[in-house]
Amino acid sequence: MSSRTTTATRPAGTRPAGRGRRRPLTFDRVSFFAVFLGLPLVIFAVFVISPFVQALYYSLTDWSGFSASMNFVGFDNYVRLFQDDQFVKSIQNSIVLGLVVPAVTIVMALVLATLMTVGSSGTGTVRGLRNSNIYRVVSFFPYTIPGIVIGIIWAQIYDPARGILNALLTGAGLGGFENFAWLGDSRTAMGASMFAIIWSFVGFYMVLFIAAIRGIDPDVFEAARIDGAGRLRTAWSIIIPLIRDNIQTAWVYLGIASLDSFVYMAALNPGGGPQNSTLVMAQELFNTAFTKGRFGYATAMGVMLAVVTLVFAALVFTVNALTGGRDKEARR
Amino acid sequence: MNTRRVTRRRILQGAVGAAALAPFGGALTSCAAGTTGDSGAKKKQPAKSATSANNPFGLEKSSSVEAVIFNGGYGYDYVTFATKQVDGKFSTKTKVTPTTQIAQQLQPRFVGGNPPDLIDNSGANQIGFNTIVDQLESLDDLFESNNYEGTKIADTVYPHVKDPGTFSGKFAAMNYAMTVYAVWYSKTLFDQNGWTAPKTWDETIALGEKAKAKGKYLFVWGKEAATYYHTLAMDSAIKEGGPEVRLALENLEPKAWSHPALQQVFKAMETCVKKGYFVPGGAGTQFTSAQAKWSNDQQAILYPSGGWIENEMKKATKAGFTMTGIPEMTVTDSPKMPYESLRSAAGEPFIVPSKAKNSAGGKEILRAMLSKDAATNFSKTRLAPTIVKDTVPSDGFGSSALVSQTSMLSAAGTNVFNYQFGTYYGLNADQLTVWNSFLSGKLDVAGLTKGLQQISDKVANDSSVKKLKVTS
Repeated sequence: MSSRTTTATRPAGTRPAGRGRRRPLTFDRVSFFAVFLGLPLVIFAVFVISPFVQALYYSLTDWSGFSASMNFVGFDNYVRLFQDDQFVKSIQNSIVLGLVVPAVTIVMALVLATLMTVGSSGTGTVRGLRNSNIYRVVSFFPYTIPGIVIGIIWAQIYDPARGILNALLTGAGLGGFENFAWLGDSRTAMGASMFAIIWSFVGFYMVLFIAAIRGIDPDVFEAARIDGAGRLRTAWSIIIPLIRDNIQTAWVYLGIASLDSFVYMAALNPGGGPQNSTLVMAQELFNTAFTKGRFGYATAMGVMLAVVTLVFAALVFTVNALTGGRDKEARR
Repeated sequence: MNTRRVTRRRILQGAVGAAALAPFGGALTSCAAGTTGDSGAKKKQPAKSATSANNPFGLEKSSSVEAVIFNGGYGYDYVTFATKQVDGKFSTKTKVTPTTQIAQQLQPRFVGGNPPDLIDNSGANQIGFNTIVDQLESLDDLFESNNYEGTKIADTVYPHVKDPGTFSGKFAAMNYAMTVYAVWYSKTLFDQNGWTAPKTWDETIALGEKAKAKGKYLFVWGKEAATYYHTLAMDSAIKEGGPEVRLALENLEPKAWSHPALQQVFKAMETCVKKGYFVPGGAGTQFTSAQAKWSNDQQAILYPSGGWIENEMKKATKAGFTMTGIPEMTVTDSPKMPYESLRSAAGEPFIVPSKAKNSAGGKEILRAMLSKDAATNFSKTRLAPTIVKDTVPSDGFGSSALVSQTSMLSAAGTNVFNYQFGTYYGLNADQLTVWNSFLSGKLDVAGLTKGLQQISDKVANDSSVKKLKVTS
């Protein structure tokens, strides 16, 4: 800063530096704006905003995707969407995924992160479990594997005849699970798919939360300990309020990923599962576009998917605000 | 104090606003599917040579040809075999690109009006024909031309091979591989146990009982291939009830699935499901591992599929299996179409787009493929018949499955049928769901009928889908 002004020495009537003070628009500053503001905005406009607007336009046409001609059909595609029982089913599935997967993942990741940071004995200094570094590394592994591979691995695990899961269950004396098709039974297909997705995410979010907890001043934990807070109380009243922002970010990310879920579902149940119980919007969109050659209609589905995702993000922020996430003071 | 000053924040706000508004300012005119083709300058067609008996399509000497070939069960080198012949004859330069993502890869090129000269539009990601049939060359002149041996191509091929590639009267796709739909079994295993291959559904159910006594199942299915039983059911019913069944299905008629012939087949299948003749858990089994239970473990003794099955399971077939095909079962002893009738659809549709730069080259490659050398090479290396007759020797290059395919084709003669509605409207994914439930015992015949009827009705009632008209 060129003018080192502090509140004590500032003459009355002038504003603090950088707030509404006109600075001459020198070449330096203009070129700085152009490069650091203009360029990213142009890129953003060309590669993000314009495709989005084009998508809106295509969703109002009957474009097949394989010719340059198309007719404008107004909102026909959107009307059809809501009469299309299969698409409605896929919206429901996506929403269930978007609610359950983030909730379970975050709860599990928080529990594990707490154990690794403050989970050790209730006396002495506040420490995590012994060897928690090993657990951290191990549970991070699944996140480093691409989703498609995870899907394929779990599809093998769930295989009715050769899968390791049925082998373990029948080995444990549960004869009813012989040849049980986990992914082929509408009662279990969704749960089994969710389990695979959650399994792939938990490790990463645990590491994220551990990093956030490490950023909290240890004195806070010590103080809580002296005041007689147990480990549960510490987790509930100290950790969660103090790493709220991380949790919120995780929630939005996980929500977007699970609303999509395309990769996992395509590997586990490419056809949408028994009675379409695991069909997600992205799968339905892909089929409509590439196997049915109806790009206009598929684009309308894409717009719906975007709307659902935005609504979800708005919900998360709203809930966070309502539960007191906005007041910057620590709650007492 | 109150003069509006330019602040960093205001510049940012302005810039964001401008960016958000920019696309509305005429950017819409530069859509991805912008104006192409006709309005532009005339596309660069190589000057066509005069046509002659040796050059029926007027392929220009030393021009370039581009082919994009689906790289699936049959690979793509059989096309390269033919392009080498064409290059030798016309000193053209042919580029063959293999891919498994036909639709995804070629979509922008169709939109941009510069598709390749020849496409093998096949595989899971094939382009739905209802979307591109208007943009394809008619291939009638190909069948009217002579092959490299000097015989008219139309006289060298099996009957009805044009049908699967004919859409509303336009012959737009040359299906090269002869696919015979049949029920496959191990002759060795049947001989050992003294079983005979069943001809009717009653015999099939009786065989199921015998297999059960030996601790084996009758059938096996995998989740991605549950519709093989859909094919089997339709074929059985068409043989039983005659062409009327097929026409009702093709034209998406409102009560098509309630036809008595179909209902009888569904009932027979339901009996097999109820009696536990299917290997359980198929709805959660990947289809190739399900097929291995038939070809390798011999847990199941019959499998309905197309002629590609031998090639597909090559690495997972028990030694001495002697894979053999039989025509699909009928319901009674006196079906409307003879027992030997087959659903035989030529598969692997090759297409030549109208907007291709060198469509003559595309057609010339097809002409080479339909000549003796290339067709024999395909059967020999792929163990599958092509639509060209008499290219498979009696020993079937040592493949029992190929021998049974050619003998089935000869026995069927002109009693060959096919239907297109499933692939044309892209219904397979929806039908899989219903069939998986039915074969798992979660749906009864009524539920299956209702489910399949809904899928057909949905397309029939959708005014935005162009319908196929089938009259014969």
